[in-house]
Amino acid sequence: MRPSLFFLVGVLAGAASQAQQPECTYSRAAAAAKSPAAVWHRISANAELAAPTAAPTPRRRATLPPKGDPWQFTPVNFIDSEIFGKMAKDGVHWTGPSSDTEFLRRVTVDLTGEIPSPDDVKAFLADPSIDKRTKAIDRLLASDAFVDRWTMWFGDLVQNVQVASATVESYPGRDAYYKYIRDSIKGRKPYDQMVREVIAGAGKSFTNGETNYFVRDEQNNGPIQDTYDNESASTGQRFLGMPLQCLSCHNGLGHLEQVNSAMAKRLRYDFWKNAAFFSQVTITRAKDAATQQQETTLADNTTGRYLLNTVSGNKTPRTPLNGQNFVDPEFFLGGDTPRSGEPRRVAYGRILTAHPQFARAAVNYLWKEIFGLGIVEPADSFDLNRQDPATLANGATLQPTHPQLLTQLANAFVSSQYDIRALLRTMVLSNAYQLSSRYTAGTWNETWTPYYARHYPRRLMSEEILDAVVKATGVGITMNLTTAQGQTATQVTKAMQLPDPTEGGQFRTLLNNFGRGNRDDDPRASDSSIVQALSLMNDNNVVSRVRASNSASTVAKTLAATKDPGTIADTLYLATLARYPDTGERATAINYLKSGDLNRKTEDLQFALLNKLEFLFN
Amino acid sequence: MHRCCEGKGNFSSLLGDGFTRRRFFQVAGTALVGSYFADVASAKLLESAAAVSPTLHNTAKNCILIFLSGAPSHVDTWDLKEGTWTPADFNPTTFGAIRWPQGLMPNTANHLDKLSIIRSGLAWAAVHNLAQEWVQIARNPGGATGSIAPHIGAVVSLEAQLSRQASDILPGFVSINQVMAGSGYLPAQYAPFGVTPAANGLAALTHPDGASRLSDRWNLIQSIDSDRKSGALGRNADDMGTFYNQAKTLIDTPDVNKLFAYTVDEYSRYGATAFGASLIVARNLVNARRGTRFVQTTLGGWDHHSNIYAKTGSSLYTSMKTFDPAFAALLADLAGMPGATAGRTLLDDTLVVVLGEFGRTVGALNAQAGRDHFLRMSVVFAGGGVKGSRVIGATDDKGSAAVEFGWAANRDVRPEDVASTIYSSIGIDYTTVRHDDPLNRGFEYVPFAKDGTYGPINELF
Repeated sequence: MRPSLFFLVGVLAGAASQAQQPECTYSRAAAAAKSPAAVWHRISANAELAAPTAAPTPRRRATLPPKGDPWQFTPVNFIDSEIFGKMAKDGVHWTGPSSDTEFLRRVTVDLTGEIPSPDDVKAFLADPSIDKRTKAIDRLLASDAFVDRWTMWFGDLVQNVQVASATVESYPGRDAYYKYIRDSIKGRKPYDQMVREVIAGAGKSFTNGETNYFVRDEQNNGPIQDTYDNESASTGQRFLGMPLQCLSCHNGLGHLEQVNSAMAKRLRYDFWKNAAFFSQVTITRAKDAATQQQETTLADNTTGRYLLNTVSGNKTPRTPLNGQNFVDPEFFLGGDTPRSGEPRRVAYGRILTAHPQFARAAVNYLWKEIFGLGIVEPADSFDLNRQDPATLANGATLQPTHPQLLTQLANAFVSSQYDIRALLRTMVLSNAYQLSSRYTAGTWNETWTPYYARHYPRRLMSEEILDAVVKATGVGITMNLTTAQGQTATQVTKAMQLPDPTEGGQFRTLLNNFGRGNRDDDPRASDSSIVQALSLMNDNNVVSRVRASNSASTVAKTLAATKDPGTIADTLYLATLARYPDTGERATAINYLKSGDLNRKTEDLQFALLNKLEFLFN
Repeated sequence: MHRCCEGKGNFSSLLGDGFTRRRFFQVAGTALVGSYFADVASAKLLESAAAVSPTLHNTAKNCILIFLSGAPSHVDTWDLKEGTWTPADFNPTTFGAIRWPQGLMPNTANHLDKLSIIRSGLAWAAVHNLAQEWVQIARNPGGATGSIAPHIGAVVSLEAQLSRQASDILPGFVSINQVMAGSGYLPAQYAPFGVTPAANGLAALTHPDGASRLSDRWNLIQSIDSDRKSGALGRNADDMGTFYNQAKTLIDTPDVNKLFAYTVDEYSRYGATAFGASLIVARNLVNARRGTRFVQTTLGGWDHHSNIYAKTGSSLYTSMKTFDPAFAALLADLAGMPGATAGRTLLDDTLVVVLGEFGRTVGALNAQAGRDHFLRMSVVFAGGGVKGSRVIGATDDKGSAAVEFGWAANRDVRPEDVASTIYSSIGIDYTTVRHDDPLNRGFEYVPFAKDGTYGPINELF
């Protein structure tokens, strides 16, 4: 967008590995180093390596950018050009960069859903290489934990759950679907291919996991057109980020002017045509002999039609239009139709994933996972009339906060052949992502949040909290999954591996309290509540894990290794918060540990660290 | 029914011409019937309808919602229809206008003077999950705002927020034994505080290592967590800090935990069941007057497709043995406890609502000696300004069609009307449309209530 604008907080270590290796264009304050990258790296590394025993960690840069005179910089990638360019243009001051430990914890939680281990932190701090952040990112992208985290993400997106208000996948179906998703993420299957496969899933739902995409949206209490409508609406919401459901009952005119100006011009008839892609599916249900559960079998036929002949069900009546009592398939955006002989769902997947909005919706969802706030919000409410500044109607407001950035992200996603890892890598490599969550450039102004002027901390998601408690305390968990008769008993040892939010064994209440939702009518939530605080203070699943009497616990192992209060404080900070205490924190901890029985005080210290806001946010 | 598409005028006119009952029953077997309302070709502006002015009874301070999930048989209980199938020991007895299964519900029989029974209730769907959610969020879960809709209790909690006093330390909405719907798009602080009572109180309010230990730990948290004072982590984290303080207050306040506990005597008087214990806690919470305004307790097990009249196992008898003594004891206690102001009882201050998600098939039993899903249902109200000894609406001799709706709207009573009634009794404007929803669409407390489509059953008061 503005190649001439080069502003930066300072180029972080990760920049070095980028294709466009930054030329130093800064003009001030970094005289002691060859590049800002070197400056940043040196400050953070020196300070943190020395932290356990030496002076307080300088968590902020030595010099703040003076107002109206931001540091010049070269962006790591196009994300920085857009993010910092807009801030510079609008006079918004960004905060300083994250420290090494802040960065490592953030990127580890964001990419894998886990907190870093003490060894991870030590190795990272000890690594002198200039591209160590890039190396850490690549290690995380290749980890098994990454697979768990993004299997959860896709499971949330398609709402894989054994039972919902209007349909039943049942346990074997859900498990097959979970396996399909996990195998796909693990095998680096392109995102567009996954979407095509779930949309066209055929065969038995207990063995062909992707078949459950269709099963999940069946409406078991209405005419079959209600199911077709659900499939159409949910593909629109999940894969195009558009609230197509509104048009399943009525035309846009008179309803959607204030909601979605593009859809306000569309007809229910247009929606039906999109739904007609799902009308050539033969659905058979039969009891599976092994599990005694109803299994669905899907097969594509060539004769099914979307008929306009309903007076009951969940939707307003469908009545013949212009003397025609059926509609043929036509894609909602652009009007593409199936090729001759092409099964309708296969055609739909092909057409949908080729449309530009498909990639735009996906990158916006993924951006929201990493940056906390979508470029378009709400992320499932794209108004296609309000995306492009060049064609924006008079008086209308642009929907994306960073329109060019959204386009560039989508292009990058397509160029990478829909590689989720590659896209996430681009995001977390950016300086924008690597800003500190603490605002040090003056008084924070909430209206700067959509500028990404600081990394806005999010509460760890439900599963991340439990897994972080387990990892920090060293006391593992085992959760038995619910199975149907004849299914192999399965256990998981991480909440992030649960196939749906109806599971969780003895940890169900804790997990529910942190808003994991139900993949049906209770969306996943990231806000806070009293019960969350009560859970962390009083749930025995948490409290019992800091006991010295449990020989597996971090507390017990620490006490077995040392009685030195300073070492204990360092160990517990590292295990719980993935950083060393600063000098003041260390002194406070040492005083507390010395104030009574060391076992008790050590337990208390880790309990307090688990209840520190910093532990709960990332 | 479908949320975003009912033109308001259409609904009223369809109901007015006798269309509903006939058409509804044509499709009762396919279970979902709210579908005739909008003329697709003449969509109406959502915001263009002339608003009705709400009728706010404002007679209650609290609501206890007793949700009988699984759907109890209405024709064996609140709307008794006798036939060759009726067990002799039902001992049908007449109390004024009410024909009553005295043998099945002997304890509740003593409190008919406190009850209004609505017999013209009609569910929208005969599918458990869907209809259960529908009742609790007052709209079609598959409709436009279904995916973001809070539970009725969360709305009550939100509305009560402004009038909370410093001494109101309890959560506004408590859900006992089971939590189904949550706070939807509303902040998590309005989500149901889900509890499972025990004789000694609530595990969540009790630190496993003892109160003094928690006190040490709390002080340590304060001394090492400077972010709680500085706000350096931003608004979301600040909120969490606030909730920590509120949680600690709950833990530290004497007698709070006792509200969630019960004595052996009480437990026995309420029937010695977990459900009975939940009603003791519900009573305690509203009696405490410390911020809890909505309590839901859920009793499952009413899905009697087979052997409904069996004396053991899952049957109407065994379910009623749980429900009847507990419900009767609750009514007796509430009526015997003082209300917030002189001369009023706690029952006067508390609207008690009993309902399932739908009713069960009528007439003779099915081939498995049970009853299947059916849209016709009864809804029971007590307290909170509701008159007693009342029946509203009447069904035909089988208990299927309503022959008399019994209220001014002159149509079936829907879950949306029940929600409107709850809101109205507490003084909440059920026609409210919030404009803070993430869909940027407008979130109605009760869909189409502002158009007069749904509203409170004023005849109850």
